[in-house]
Amino acid sequence: MTHKIHILLVDDEASLREPLAEYLIKQGYKVQQASDASIARSLLNAYDFDITLLDIMMPGEDGLSLCRFVTDKTDIPVIFISAKTEETERIIGLELGADDYITKPFSPRELVARIKVILRRAERGGTKPLGTSGGGYQFSGWTLKSDKRSLIDADGVNVSLSTGEYQMLLALVSRAGKVLNRDQLLDITQGREAHAFDRAVDNQISRLRRKIESDPKNPEIIKTVWGGGYMLAGEVKSL
Amino acid sequence: MIRLWPRSLVGQLLLIVAMMLLLAQGVNSFLLYRGAQSQNLIESSTAAVSRIAFGLDRQANDRPGRRGGAMRARRWGQLKYGSESAVTDGMNRLPELEARAGQAFANMGIGFSDIRATFTRNLTADMSGHLIGANRGEWRNNPINRSMGDKRMPPETRGYVIISAQQADGQWVSIASVVRERTPLMIRTLLFQTITIYLLMLIPLILLGRYISRPLKSLTARAHNFQPGDSEDLAEQGPPDTRELIRAFNAMSGRVSSMINEKDVMLGAIGHDLRTPLAALRVRVENVEDDIERERMIAGIEDIDHTLDDILSLARLGRSAEQADPVDIRSLIETIVDEFTDLGHEVHYQRGDKQSALIRETLVRRALRNLIGNAILYGKAADISVEKSGNKLMIHVDDDGPGIADDKIDAMFEPFLRGDASRNRATGGSGLGLTLARAIARDHGGDIILQNREKGGLRATLELPIK
Repeated sequence: MTHKIHILLVDDEASLREPLAEYLIKQGYKVQQASDASIARSLLNAYDFDITLLDIMMPGEDGLSLCRFVTDKTDIPVIFISAKTEETERIIGLELGADDYITKPFSPRELVARIKVILRRAERGGTKPLGTSGGGYQFSGWTLKSDKRSLIDADGVNVSLSTGEYQMLLALVSRAGKVLNRDQLLDITQGREAHAFDRAVDNQISRLRRKIESDPKNPEIIKTVWGGGYMLAGEVKSL
Repeated sequence: MIRLWPRSLVGQLLLIVAMMLLLAQGVNSFLLYRGAQSQNLIESSTAAVSRIAFGLDRQANDRPGRRGGAMRARRWGQLKYGSESAVTDGMNRLPELEARAGQAFANMGIGFSDIRATFTRNLTADMSGHLIGANRGEWRNNPINRSMGDKRMPPETRGYVIISAQQADGQWVSIASVVRERTPLMIRTLLFQTITIYLLMLIPLILLGRYISRPLKSLTARAHNFQPGDSEDLAEQGPPDTRELIRAFNAMSGRVSSMINEKDVMLGAIGHDLRTPLAALRVRVENVEDDIERERMIAGIEDIDHTLDDILSLARLGRSAEQADPVDIRSLIETIVDEFTDLGHEVHYQRGDKQSALIRETLVRRALRNLIGNAILYGKAADISVEKSGNKLMIHVDDDGPGIADDKIDAMFEPFLRGDASRNRATGGSGLGLTLARAIARDHGGDIILQNREKGGLRATLELPIK
């Protein structure tokens, strides 16, 4: 690749921003640093970035608002860097169109891995798995809600999903009737969780089936398609 | 023992007032009864006095042989003449009656040198022929008693009044008169009075009691369900004392809320201000060449991060923005079990019947994760099972470790205390795991229970209430 990946790093804390920039440069990236939202905006106007790393908590205009600006005006993917771990805040960030989040303190290697996943997805022209589904979907008596990232059964009871399972189910439901092969599913779910890398797609599918199929051995909802892939069967209604 | 003492303020107030009213009524009716009794005595003695006066008046021409005289004597009683008084020295004399009789004789212009009166229950044989009112049939035939529709037998004889008077010549003239009971009528009157007073007193009292207790009830409910940040003050109502109490409560909850808000702001700042340098350190650690050294440093940083996480969660508990939702317990357990098996730990769970509970999922996940984490830390594997008992759901986490000495079980919930005192930080965990798990369980109205298993190992149970 002749083109060096260009990263915009926005964080008010120089103590984190500077070593992180150094690390990323060492990994072969080109990095521009911004200590607040207004500097970030002027840099966004001046350069073509491939990806933005955004701190949520910043004095002045915060990361959420800057994220909205970036996702509205450009196609540049955004990864949130957050010191908060409250589940709701992660979801808000993802709802605003961020591609991923990572919480402090994080492993720089994992950050780089996630950057790679997101860029590969963008390169392939894959759609964002999140923030694009509106309210959610209804299928085979189930409701998948994107605002709270929850799966609800016919009795209104929430069924717990791991982040990976949620991603995979969302991918299948939003492309109902289409066959998704393992590579495509891996793309969508990878990089979401620290331990998601080596988890086989088949394993995730069987866990999902255990939770949503009435008979996991004879699946009615998530069908296996010969020749490598999975497909969601049945009617799907967008909410 | 049956609890007769009511627990509510109004109930106690009503009971006390009712009891005092009953007591007052009792005293009152006792006095009335006494009054009626002496009234009876006076009536009877008046009859005796009249008979004596009447007898003396006719003494001169009253011929005992005449038939009419004998008839009258049967009805009115024959006066007894003698040198001795019928009221002997041993008898209990009634000075009040004696004074009344003396007054009555004086009014009629009859003078006696001495007058004696007494009340006795048993008439001596020599007086039984000298008795007024012995014929009970006359009581029934009395037109007054008949007009009242009174079909009862005349009241029983209660006793006798004996009046004895000494004439100037030293002779005593004596007569006895029946005194009758009057109590049956009294009890009715008393009951009627009591009920009337109860109705008149207790109804306003109930209303007053409610006026007092309603604001107290809402205050109690508010105190029970106090949530820091309840911006709306409780309305001041009820009597002035209660209003003052509500005002004080509102002020206090305001202070508590602002203190807790301050704490939250501070914790948020701590979380942010510690995590950022920690993140910077984590990035810089990547520059360390020595692999072993670098891994140790990374483990150290992760340890600090987990402790920070636990402290913040514990401090923020009860202020979670997360809502309680009905959650399928099976898939909740599966999700956590999968996390552990993905890391290579041995955790078993067999999916059973569908069971849901109203919980804050993120928090309960955390509690369960801590219990399973402990089981793996102290044993090698964890076995998870779900049991339903009444309105409780119990999630058991069993391990095959050494268990805990029975007298140390309570201490396990103390923050920063670990099962084995010799353990150092290398074994991981902040020492807050169980404290946090219990706080989460209790926040949901449940609890954590630790007990040693018969086959060895420890059973940690997360109890959650279900509808």
